[in-house]
Amino acid sequence: MLEIKNLHASVEGEDIEILKGVNLKVNAGEIHAIMGPNGSGKSTLAKVVSGHPEYEVTQGEILFNGEDITELDADERAHMGLFLAFQYPVEVPGITNKTLLREAYNTIARANDREELDPLEFEDYITEKLDVIEMKDQFLSRSINTGFSGGEKKKNEIFQMAVLNPVLSFLDETDSGLDIDALKVVSDGVNKIANSENAIVMITHYQRLLNYIKPDHVHVMMAGKLIKSGGFELAEELEANGYDALEKELVLNGEAQ
Amino acid sequence: MSEVIQRDTMLSYITGSVESSAESVAIRAINERGREDLEKTPFPTRKDEDWRFVDLKSITKSQFCKLEEANAADVGDISEHYLPEAMNCRLVFVNGVYNEELSSVEDLPNNVIVGNLAANADNNSVKEHLGTITNYDDDVFAPFNDAAFTDGAFIYVPEETVVRTPIHILNVFTDAEKAFYATPRLLYVGEMFSKSTIIEEHIGLADNQYLNVPVTEFKMFTGSNVHHARIQRDSKNASHVSRPIAILDKNAEYHSYTICLGAKLFRNDPRVIQNAEEVNFTVDGLVLIDGNQIADTHSIMDHRFAHAGSHQLHKVVVNDSAHSVFNGKIFVAKDAQKIDSFQENRNLLLSENGKVNTKPQLEIFADDVLCSHGATIGQLQDEEVFYLQSRGLTEQKSRELLVYAFALESVESMEVESVEKLLLSEVIEYTNRDNK
Repeated sequence: MLEIKNLHASVEGEDIEILKGVNLKVNAGEIHAIMGPNGSGKSTLAKVVSGHPEYEVTQGEILFNGEDITELDADERAHMGLFLAFQYPVEVPGITNKTLLREAYNTIARANDREELDPLEFEDYITEKLDVIEMKDQFLSRSINTGFSGGEKKKNEIFQMAVLNPVLSFLDETDSGLDIDALKVVSDGVNKIANSENAIVMITHYQRLLNYIKPDHVHVMMAGKLIKSGGFELAEELEANGYDALEKELVLNGEAQ
Repeated sequence: MSEVIQRDTMLSYITGSVESSAESVAIRAINERGREDLEKTPFPTRKDEDWRFVDLKSITKSQFCKLEEANAADVGDISEHYLPEAMNCRLVFVNGVYNEELSSVEDLPNNVIVGNLAANADNNSVKEHLGTITNYDDDVFAPFNDAAFTDGAFIYVPEETVVRTPIHILNVFTDAEKAFYATPRLLYVGEMFSKSTIIEEHIGLADNQYLNVPVTEFKMFTGSNVHHARIQRDSKNASHVSRPIAILDKNAEYHSYTICLGAKLFRNDPRVIQNAEEVNFTVDGLVLIDGNQIADTHSIMDHRFAHAGSHQLHKVVVNDSAHSVFNGKIFVAKDAQKIDSFQENRNLLLSENGKVNTKPQLEIFADDVLCSHGATIGQLQDEEVFYLQSRGLTEQKSRELLVYAFALESVESMEVESVEKLLLSEVIEYTNRDNK
């Protein structure tokens, strides 16, 4: 489904490379976790894959269902089924959740020659999805993320994901700032959305989230590269020994630069 | 050696003389006073503090004639501009001249007057208040209106009377061979505990050049309440200089909302004067400009007695090489304690060449007041645009939604559904122009 090949990227107009050759393959039905210390490039990877204009791909390519999407705009990628749950969801006063989601849903539907939903049909559709994150109707009429608590903002990202039904979702530090109850609601939501047709890539600093959403593959990112991949046991190892230990081990084995 | 420098007056930009043709003695007296003020008051230049940011070329490089000499086009069918809510409560002025045929006033509560000034010149309220409320020192525009107007709108709401239908004052301007001037006038008298909603509109039907100098006077008696929406959609080559003023007795409420979309040069000097204790008022504005438009608001919120609540939210969106100026004065006199006044000017710059000057000005002589002010100038945040785009919205649609959201708060203050709809479509049209 997703194939990232030797991806290098830097901030647009600046010379500092943040991604230094990322390789990643994600298949339908899989859940991946990318872990790594702060500043390793995890969030940048999510943004670059989603098409953030702040970053420039200097080398390599991103293939999505076989198509090179490296040069596409963020909305074109969204139309193909890519989704990014933001680490810091943006507040947009004056536009309600419902307005944004109907516009987004119908734009994506149009791009894929699917039928658009009229306001009434959409109301039914979206209300049903509220269950995914255990939110009340009022949530729909509130301005996007405006005055939301940290937990509500993260729930809103998962809610949007449920409504837009993407093929591949990047969840950027969705667990950060969540208390234990909110974390359960959010992970339950993600588990309800996950199926054999779609795929999820979680980006996280801690193992905490992975106890609720079990990944099939775990990757460790350091200094702009995925330096080690494995199963769930890799996450446990990291939790027990920390990133430093892993780094030392890799140096000893001559695997790190 | 002494040298007298003769500065230009307003009359320097007017073809011929401004002579009164009003039938009413009361109006002629105001005309006379206006002419005297005009002759002795120099036209402002950028050396005057209140005009330092404004380029007045679109007036000073022109000559404006009387409407009769302009060879103006017929008005035609303007029913698309009628408000469904005010179908039978509308006064129409074409190029500043009252048009009885297009006006429609029916079904008003007893003793309410919605009509033209000339026909009501003998009304006691007209005689008592017309021309007495306007109060602009060293001004040339209010005196110009004083000197030249012969008619206008008159609204009178008696004691304890509520007019539920919005009252639509529709000023339309037609195409013309020559640049002409117009001096629309509105006198509103709200008796004790009266209430109404006024929609004052200025619409240019073509893109011709003209000079629109309206004066509106609101006399608000004890406990009276008015919602005054002003929508300026003049021709893109017009100059519009407004003098709206309200004076408030005890417990009166005056809420004004000015929307600026049109005109090449728009200068608006709203003033609200507190005439007794315990009043409430609003002086909000929404400005959406692009091209080479200039929109300048110089407002005064004049607190002279204790216990007033006032607020001002002035929102501005600037694109291309447009230029917005805001100077919001809040005055609080020495004995005017317990004033709660709030002012905010928020500017959204969509282009590199757009320009914004903002200057809040608080002059407070009382010691027990709560006054705050703030001004922000920002651009659309890339992160906001990316957020919406990552949800599938095109970049254009994302920007449009963000500008729409910025303007929405002001539009929602209109309280008349068709006006809100109209303004929202204007906002969308404005953001789409951005893309061309």
